[in-house]
Formats: sequence, C-alpha cells, structure tokens
Amino acid sequence: MEKERILAEVQDIFRDVLDNDDLEINFNTVADDVDEWDSLSHIQLVVGIEKHFGLHFTSQQITKWKDVGAMCDDIATSI
Amino acid sequence: MLYQTKIRMIEIFKNMQAVRHKFVVSQKVYEAFQQCSGDYNPLHTKVEFAKEKGFKECVMYGNILNAFVSMLIGECLPTKDVMINSQDITYRQPVFLNDELDAELTVEKIYESVNVVDFKFRFNNVNGKTVARGHIQISVI
Repeated sequence: MEKERILAEVQDIFRDVLDNDDLEINFNTVADDVDEWDSLSHIQLVVGIEKHFGLHFTSQQITKWKDVGAMCDDIATSI
Repeated sequence: MLYQTKIRMIEIFKNMQAVRHKFVVSQKVYEAFQQCSGDYNPLHTKVEFAKEKGFKECVMYGNILNAFVSMLIGECLPTKDVMINSQDITYRQPVFLNDELDAELTVEKIYESVNVVDFKFRFNNVNGKTVARGHIQISVI
C-alpha cells in the first residue's frame, strides 16, 4: 500500500480516536502538534491502528516513532 | 526495569483462564447504587409503573452490572496493576431484585505494544440466559 494511502487511513483513525473530524495530519506531525494527542490517547491510536491494519507492533517499534511518518513507515513494512 | 516488569505483567494475561464470579443484586446493592447514582426513575422504584411497562416487578439498574464488572477487573485479575480504558455493555434481559448472576470474563485480545488487554464479559441468570454482555479494555499500569 502506498504511504499516502496509509496516511489517509491513519488520519481517519486519528480523527475517530481523538474525536476531531477536522484534524489534518501529515508525515511530519508529532504529538505536540495535536492538542488531543496525549499518552492515553496514544494507546488508543496504536490499538486503533493495529486493529485497522491487522498488525501487531512491539513496544520497541512504537517507542522509536518520532512522527506520523515513522508510524506510516512501520505500517507499510508490516502489511 | 520498569519496561521489563510491564512486559512480564502483560504475559500473565496470555494464558489466563476465564474469571468466573457469582453476584447477587441484593437489596443492599440496589439501595447503594440508587443512592450513589441519584437515579429514582419509576421503572426502578415503583412496582406499579414497572408493571404498566410490562415487567413483573421493578427492573434493577443496568449499571449495577457495570459496577460488578469493575469488581471483576479490580479484584479478580492476576494483577492489581490495571486501569480501565473503555467499557461497553448490551442488556438482553431485565434483572430483578435478588437475581443471582454468573459473570464470566475472558481475554479477547492482547496489545503487547501498549500493554493493553481487551476482555469480553457476560452475565447469565440462574436459568442460563444471558442478561448482559459486553467488552472492557484495560491498560496494565
């Protein structure tokens, strides 16, 4: 799957989990850029992504995510 | 060290057997929940009203079962290091005063990356009918 397509699907997950239909994210987006993205919502974002794409990440993987782009890279290599 | 501890904690849910517990919706439970919630809706407090609506007696508060789920999570899991993230419940049959309910809680999915466990639960009455079922998600903290 193309990274742009993955980003679009990840954005839908972010909008649902963070309850913000207007949220726009890009590959450079980090938690500090999004008010609703805190440590608790991060858990729900990871769970939502794992469910949606049928993936299982490791804690080592997700601690290396510096931005949404890194998240999408891991998704792309795992599906 | 903290990281290793969490990994070990999540491991204990992998082979966890179903949690089973018997609950009774006693007068004490009913009154405590009523006072706690402040819900005096006549369906729960007026027999005549409940009968008008087709029930044999006052219907117990559905959310008493959510309180029972809280007990299952807080007291019956193999670790106390847990926190509830989310919970949903679907009611299928009414529950009445002094009903005995058999609760069963089973692991549905484990998200090791974020130390999260999804459970499903159900409550059966003495006739073996499911009165409610649902899902609950916890974090290992």
